Amino acid sequence: MTLILAADRLTKWYGRRLAVEDVSFEVRQGEVMGLLGPNGSGKSTILRVLTGYLRPSAGTARIAGFDVVTQGLEVRRRVGYVPEDVPLYTNMRVSEFLMFMGKLRGLWGHGLAAAVSAVYERVSLASVQNLLISQLSRGYRQRVAIAQALMGDPQLLVLDEPTNGLDPRQIIELRELIRALSRSCAVLVTSHVLAEVERIAHRAAILLGGRLLTVHTLVGDTQGYQVRLRLRAPDSQSVALRLESVQGVSEIQPETASDGISVWRVRVADTQVAERLAASLVEARLGVQEITPVASDLESLFLRLTGQEASK
Amino acid sequence: MKSFATLLGKETRALFSSPIAYIVVAVYLLLVGYTFAASLFMTKMATLIHIFFQAAVLLLLMIPIITMRQFSEERKTGTLELLLTAPVKEAAVVLAKFAASMSVVLVMVALTMSYAIVLALFSHPDWGPIYSGYLGLILLGSALTALGLLISALTANQIVAAVVSLGLFSLLWMVDTAATLLPDPVATFLIGLSLLAHFTPLATGAMYTSDFGFFLSVTLLGLFLTVRALARR
Repeated sequence: MTLILAADRLTKWYGRRLAVEDVSFEVRQGEVMGLLGPNGSGKSTILRVLTGYLRPSAGTARIAGFDVVTQGLEVRRRVGYVPEDVPLYTNMRVSEFLMFMGKLRGLWGHGLAAAVSAVYERVSLASVQNLLISQLSRGYRQRVAIAQALMGDPQLLVLDEPTNGLDPRQIIELRELIRALSRSCAVLVTSHVLAEVERIAHRAAILLGGRLLTVHTLVGDTQGYQVRLRLRAPDSQSVALRLESVQGVSEIQPETASDGISVWRVRVADTQVAERLAASLVEARLGVQEITPVASDLESLFLRLTGQEASK
Repeated sequence: MKSFATLLGKETRALFSSPIAYIVVAVYLLLVGYTFAASLFMTKMATLIHIFFQAAVLLLLMIPIITMRQFSEERKTGTLELLLTAPVKEAAVVLAKFAASMSVVLVMVALTMSYAIVLALFSHPDWGPIYSGYLGLILLGSALTALGLLISALTANQIVAAVVSLGLFSLLWMVDTAATLLPDPVATFLIGLSLLAHFTPLATGAMYTSDFGFFLSVTLLGLFLTVRALARR
């Protein structure tokens, strides 16, 4: 896959405060990379350096082969950026704002009209195109911000905390949108919510105190989550058969078994599957003693790494 | 160039769609009109010299109100991040805001020409000082606008931007008053910095290239430093 973004030892000082230190990572075409870290870990600063809003104190970054400092204009032509808190010109109408941003990206005439129509469709904005941005809900504002970032078909889409302030339904819609967008461009997304990054990203870079702790590949099916079951059952064969029969269960792993009590680790697609699983086990009179969510690999890794850092 | 036109359109609409520009222009015209009427009835002379000084002092007061929000508001609301991460040069953003702010200043100054028309209707004014006076007002307005934008680019607080601009403009206007108390190289330097010292010849009908050069230099320096302030992030 083509390399879209290469950050090499990026460092940023705010006066005497070191915000980002020696951060290096890469993002490839078609990939969703999550930047994960607690508030103040340097996620937004990294995005601001990559999008040309801030200059790095040291290190380099190249986007589509262009240096973010010396070839900033070329970089900005290829990057669509949605800053945190979704700043928009609220006195403009949606159509007016998108036209304005499209023109800044060098689109005119039929090209501009076509690009605006395309983003209306991609992010479902047509119904609000004549409304003032100040009249829109948080979810629609987020869509407008994403729409402006998509004008001019960027090679890299940069989203800073895109799910902040959205309701659960809007979060699910945004997740779907990001997945769809990743088919046409690389996506760099920040979040301090582990589950979000796990569901959206192919890889996650974990940051703490401005330093990159690791880049973790989220292997296999990243959808859903794991639960641990404690059951009183005569034999493991019947439990395994019962678990497999529940639709939405994708992974079954026995952990321990002693004195007729067995522990299983199961991946379920969502909470509804977990409910069906519990009902099925109860129906089969398998003596369910406990069902608990299991910390994901990413969660375990994050806790381990941040714990190690904190203890230093 | 297309980006500049787009930005200029946006800035001009933003300025003229808010009531601030209209209130500033109306108050400016009211005060200058009052001075015009008072000086005309008192002196019975067909001249605008008094008006030019009054108009210049009012520019010191009004231009901070026009420029204070230009960058401060965008910085506060976060839209500056949106603007500066779009594929446009900082210089285009600064020039568009400068041109839009100057359009308000030009409207203000242009509408005071009605007083010159009144003089022309009822007497035979000397047009030389009137032309140079208006040129002086435009040059002064352009220098103040550039400095006001610079201050606005340095803070996210509009009130701070307005107060600092007002302080800087007032200081530059009267900085030569201390010249009589100081020895020569310093005194000459202070007079050279004074807006009043460079505006007076233009308002009274004397045009020197040094005065043109001064106002143009301040304007260009202000715009250059504003671009640098945006670029230094």
